[in-house]
Amino acid sequence: MSNINRRTLVKGSLAAAIAGTAFSRATLADNAEPILLGVSGPLTGPNAQYGTQWKQGFDLALDEILASGGINGRKLAYTFEDSQSDPRQSVAIAQKFVSDPRIVLELGDFSSPASMAASPIYQRGGLVQFGFTNSHPDFTKGGDFMWSTSVSQADEQPLLAAYAVKKLGLKKLAVLHLNTDWGRTSRDYFNKAAKEYGAEIVVTEGYIAEERDFRSTLVRVRDANPDGLVLISYYSDGALIARQARQVGLKQVICAASSVYSPKFLELGGDAVEDVHVGTRYFPEDPRPEVQKFIAGFKKKYNGVEPDAFNAYAYDAMNMAAAVVKIGGTDRKAIRDAFTKVKDVPSVIFGTATFDVASRRVKGAMNAELVVRKGQFALWDGKPT
Amino acid sequence: MSSWLDYTINGLIVGNVYALVAVGLALIFGVSRLINFAQGSIYLVGGYIGWVAVVQLHTPLPLTIIFVAVAAALVGLIIERFGLRPLQNSVRIAPLLATIGISFVLDQLVMLTFSPNPRALPSQLPDVRFQVGGGTIGPLDLLIAGVGISSALLLFVFLRYSKLGWAVRAASQDRDAAMQMGVDVNRVNQAVFGIAAALGGVSGLLVGMYYNQIDTAMSLQATLKGVVAEVVGGAGNVPGAVVGSLLLGLVESYGVAVFGTSYRNLFAFLLLVVVLVLRPNGLFASARQAPPEPLTGTFIAPSRPVRIPRWALAVAVAVFAILPLLPVSFYVLQTLINAWLLGLLALSLTLVAGTIGQVSLGHAALLAIGAYTSALLSLTLAVPVGLAIIAGGLMSAALGTLLISPSFRLRGHYVSIATLAIGEIVSLVILNWESVTRGPIGISGIPPLSLLGYDLISPTSVYWFSFGVMVALALLQARLISSHLGRSFRAIRDDDIAARAYGLSLNRYKSLAFIFGGFAAGVSGGIAAHLYSYINHETFNTQQSILALTVVILGGLGNVVGAVVGAVALVGLPEVFRIAAEYRILIYGIVLLLLVRFRPQGLLGTI
Repeated sequence: MSNINRRTLVKGSLAAAIAGTAFSRATLADNAEPILLGVSGPLTGPNAQYGTQWKQGFDLALDEILASGGINGRKLAYTFEDSQSDPRQSVAIAQKFVSDPRIVLELGDFSSPASMAASPIYQRGGLVQFGFTNSHPDFTKGGDFMWSTSVSQADEQPLLAAYAVKKLGLKKLAVLHLNTDWGRTSRDYFNKAAKEYGAEIVVTEGYIAEERDFRSTLVRVRDANPDGLVLISYYSDGALIARQARQVGLKQVICAASSVYSPKFLELGGDAVEDVHVGTRYFPEDPRPEVQKFIAGFKKKYNGVEPDAFNAYAYDAMNMAAAVVKIGGTDRKAIRDAFTKVKDVPSVIFGTATFDVASRRVKGAMNAELVVRKGQFALWDGKPT
Repeated sequence: MSSWLDYTINGLIVGNVYALVAVGLALIFGVSRLINFAQGSIYLVGGYIGWVAVVQLHTPLPLTIIFVAVAAALVGLIIERFGLRPLQNSVRIAPLLATIGISFVLDQLVMLTFSPNPRALPSQLPDVRFQVGGGTIGPLDLLIAGVGISSALLLFVFLRYSKLGWAVRAASQDRDAAMQMGVDVNRVNQAVFGIAAALGGVSGLLVGMYYNQIDTAMSLQATLKGVVAEVVGGAGNVPGAVVGSLLLGLVESYGVAVFGTSYRNLFAFLLLVVVLVLRPNGLFASARQAPPEPLTGTFIAPSRPVRIPRWALAVAVAVFAILPLLPVSFYVLQTLINAWLLGLLALSLTLVAGTIGQVSLGHAALLAIGAYTSALLSLTLAVPVGLAIIAGGLMSAALGTLLISPSFRLRGHYVSIATLAIGEIVSLVILNWESVTRGPIGISGIPPLSLLGYDLISPTSVYWFSFGVMVALALLQARLISSHLGRSFRAIRDDDIAARAYGLSLNRYKSLAFIFGGFAAGVSGGIAAHLYSYINHETFNTQQSILALTVVILGGLGNVVGAVVGAVALVGLPEVFRIAAEYRILIYGIVLLLLVRFRPQGLLGTI
């Protein structure tokens, strides 16, 4: 590994010298230079919105890190390369980051194809690939340089199943899920847990991300006669399904995975998402100080805009990166090792986050049981709807 | 049984949504014989203009509709005047590409102005619902149906009874004759673009209200469904577009009813292929209508190819071959590896689109077939990677040719639409055929490239491997094109009727071209699979197909060196513009537009 590293460094700096860039500044690495993280994610293309949300979360975390004295007196910064979440581009970006000696850690990419296509390059190049939206079960199996704070669906879905089956008393469920790696994995964990809790899954329907029309799907759901609908969706498609469910006359209780948790879900869903139950990993009115600090800071920095889940993931990821770099310094391998040492980092999603070294993921996501009441997310008061 | 009534109603409702886009497409096709890939972007623009009107200006509904229609019409006029009119005397493919470039530019401008987050576009109609069957319909459903059907009727009346309408029809039948008879063809074009854009904009507004959301990624899907509906109905036929849309909506709805949600789009594209095979000009093409493209070769720019001396090519190959020995970064090598893999795909496409004249918009499917074959063989049967890649190439050649063969009897634009559909079908089959392809989970842990037992892991060795494969296949293809067989290919491209009269069997030669091309594309997909170690159905998508087409047109159709030069340029350009972050796709679109405008025959010209 160190062999490749040294070669990479030599190649990288030589190329830079040829390109006429004054790399010497970086290799000298005096204290005025910030410690640099690489971000590979979508800024254009169909997933562009998520890259924009990442930036907001990152920038807020960086402001706070700087205000509290930086990383041992040095500034932390990132360089964001637009991959469009396309594997061809994410592999080129991976080579770029691996051969850029200033980059000490990489964050991203967004989708599984783009992230996992780049993994072998990060692994061989000895640069940590810290994927914080990568719930694909195989992501961290790519090697010991792959780490993730994305909540394992094995962790989250049973909590949602417990909410739907045990607390809301739904016995016959219809499950609608996004037909991606995330949606499929989540659905399997959900269905398994729900059956263990004694519910019956009467119909399961997978839809593709571009889908806008769910009326015919919902007729299938109606004919299966469930007493509850479960949405494993993002907020935009979740809101669409809820609206169309009400339009075609379905009045069943709707439960949704935490990924719909966004002020946008309320805006896009309108009246139709009233009484929707959501199991979520964070909630603005959660009194925990980590959450309140995040929300207050976010609203202050972005003119009163409410943060959503993807903002929170990015914010947490940047804080985690800072904690790791604080221990590991600027050596890439030491940073990898620091992931095994870092403990109880304050986190919006986890309360405090510590890695499970075997799975290279964090365990123990917090779960708040919410319901939409009067157009707002509110803690569920235990009353059935 | 009442459910079937519901499925029917739902199908008709969503069919109406498609009709709004399809009518505009049909109108433009009727006059310019152009599939306007920017129609979805105008629909997007309409949605956002509508958002400004409703949410910021609080206009009442009638005023909102007028506002959106006028603003969208203006956008249409600008597109016509500055994007398409300069290309009037250029080859057929040039305006098609220009509309793709325009759609990039429009989508990016909207995204930069409004941010990519989806927005709510509230409906301005009262939310009363009428019970029909087991479900309900509301005023907005009726308004959408009303706009779809009445605009088709109005257009029909306009085309049949007004003077400008006559001019439009005259211009669409024979442009030159119409000009000689004193028809101002430019004015006709302007009118058509203005009307089509106004319709497109209003449809974006209504559909946005219908779903209560608009987002910047909605344009491509709208274009795809609109094109399918239009071609099913009979390209250029306005009432046909409405019927095609309703039919598409019904087929999708019944498809969901019988097979489930995940098969929905599969049925849409199968419908298209079946209609094209049975009635190549669509369901409503009149018997007297002239064939859409008398000669396949009208796509190809007449030009004298730039002859690059052999020694210069040899020097270039040598320079690229020793590049890894020079101090260049792995990033540069990786970018070039991407270029060689795209070059392989472009070789494949330039042979079928350039040499034999079958423009393919679904070429990424060949990559996917090769990648899945190679990945599965090496993972599940432990076939050595080198052999698995070759098997991937052979599978792409065989299966790809078999799948595309129904399109061999089609002409002109219809070939590209059929191949677009076949590309989508392959992707959807991969998504749904879980027992083999592992569905949406994809295939991970694909073994790395290896040759004779040695793993090729470092960028340097992957570079040499992919470069070597590409050079070998390029040499073979250059030999093929200059052979007797290659001349037969070009004869079919230039005049298929004459070629047939001369005794050439069109289907056999087209099959041969696809077999050879399929092999190169399959090998490219196979190498990519082992390079990425993870693939799923999204890895090789429609955008790859469009990129490949752009590459071969940039390089010069049928031009082997051009395909490689085009691949290097188009992989390189976005990398060069990487510093421009959010603006880079915008810049890419503008570069594409300038290229089409000033060098439509491609950098190196057509062979």
